[in-house]
Amino acid sequence: MKAWERIVIGASMVIFVALLALVYTLGALGYRVPPSTPRDLAMVYLTMTFNPSNPLFSAMAPEAVTAIVWDYRGLDTLFETAVFFLAIIASVALMRGVSLPEKPPSSAEGMSLIVKTVTKLTIGMILAVAASIAFHGHLTPGGGFQGGATAAVAPLVALVVFSVYFLERSGVTKNRMLGLRSAGLLGIGLTAFLVLIGSLLSGGTAFVFQNQPKPAAPIGLPWRIDGALTGGTLFLFNVFEALAVSAGFTIVFLLLAVPEEEAIKVVRGGEDGH
Amino acid sequence: MIAPQTLVFGILALLGLLSMVATYLAVTERDLVKAVVFSAIQSTAYAFMYYLLMAPDIVLVYVPVAVGLYPAVILFLIKKTERFEGE
Amino acid sequence: MGINIDTYLFNLLIMTLFANLAISLYGVLARPSLIKKVIALTILSDTANTFAIVVGYRMWPTPTSPPVPPVITRIPPSREYMDWFTARAVDPLPQALVLTAIVIGLAVTLFLVFLTLQIYRLYRTTDVRRIAKLKG
Repeated sequence: MKAWERIVIGASMVIFVALLALVYTLGALGYRVPPSTPRDLAMVYLTMTFNPSNPLFSAMAPEAVTAIVWDYRGLDTLFETAVFFLAIIASVALMRGVSLPEKPPSSAEGMSLIVKTVTKLTIGMILAVAASIAFHGHLTPGGGFQGGATAAVAPLVALVVFSVYFLERSGVTKNRMLGLRSAGLLGIGLTAFLVLIGSLLSGGTAFVFQNQPKPAAPIGLPWRIDGALTGGTLFLFNVFEALAVSAGFTIVFLLLAVPEEEAIKVVRGGEDGH
Repeated sequence: MIAPQTLVFGILALLGLLSMVATYLAVTERDLVKAVVFSAIQSTAYAFMYYLLMAPDIVLVYVPVAVGLYPAVILFLIKKTERFEGE
Repeated sequence: MGINIDTYLFNLLIMTLFANLAISLYGVLARPSLIKKVIALTILSDTANTFAIVVGYRMWPTPTSPPVPPVITRIPPSREYMDWFTARAVDPLPQALVLTAIVIGLAVTLFLVFLTLQIYRLYRTTDVRRIAKLKG
């Protein structure tokens, strides 16, 4: 396709969409898009997310999004974490038996010294920002998913600038990351039962995934320790989720960086190339 | 003098048009490396859009994922397979 | 009775999103390369997520004061602050749903990337028309 044809098609699409929006607007006069008041459900979440006067129905975290993700709809997020886990495990299973060759090839040296030094500093800063985003998730915009995704940028940068052998030497191996990721998932599972365990030990009743005290379940985690807000279980969930997400993505990047010759040897080895 | 609301909605509409053109170019481009670059432009437009739509949580997760990780992973894939889409 | 310029601009945003949906669906269904299909699929899911965010947006309370993110910034919140906050904050529920969808979408895309890589290793092509012709 020639360049001018693409320009014409792109410009005509812009005009088409602009006219379509005009028709839509003319047909919808008197009806305001977006609406001027949010839905009733949104008002419930907005008024209940941090409400000391109604502690039985509040998540006691000023961040409404994190409160919904890990308190009001916490079980949903648990199952979505399970989907995440299965997708990563499926990728690992596709690459089973593939490992790095013992001796690094001479081309695996990475970029120049200046780039490497700057990158070392940058990786430290990326990890610091990621930790800040994850650990303050119950107070400001951020949380486990955001912090984990930000932290996963660091191993990717290291892969591009150094090499996969550098990561291997500095202790970022596939098995270790699998362990870290399992520790994160285990932490999420334990935090989900934390209040229930404490409640059963003291002879009361509680719900699974409980954070603050609820009717008929009077035990909850403290939402403030010495004046600092913790959001109860939200802080723990954010920390463990950041661990699981960043380690999970790091596994996939490590597998993606294995030289292609090695992988083909494993895929076709023994058979006559299909 | 443009009212601030009109200005913000206008920027939103412009970002929408930019993302549409970038999507069209990304889908029709035969050189896959260029397609990834157009896809990254579309992601950047979406990230600004999320910011203007008052969703800072989504911006924080979308910027590393869609502007950083997606293009890098797809570029890895292109490097290991083939660069041009067949006719 | 003219048209409201703000409503028009917002409708324009929604229409471009519909166009993105159509273009990326075409990319997923009609383009031959598996890599191009993966790129189009990421655009498709991003567009669907953006729709959810747009649904959660609200009109500005007044033409000069924008809505605020759903984060309480005053601890403890007074009654007046909560009235101010609920009159301005956007809907937090779509944001919470989209947040997890983006990360899980990336994980699923990574799985698709590995599948494509595996197909290329076995058949030496990422063109679905040539893969369909292969036997076994």
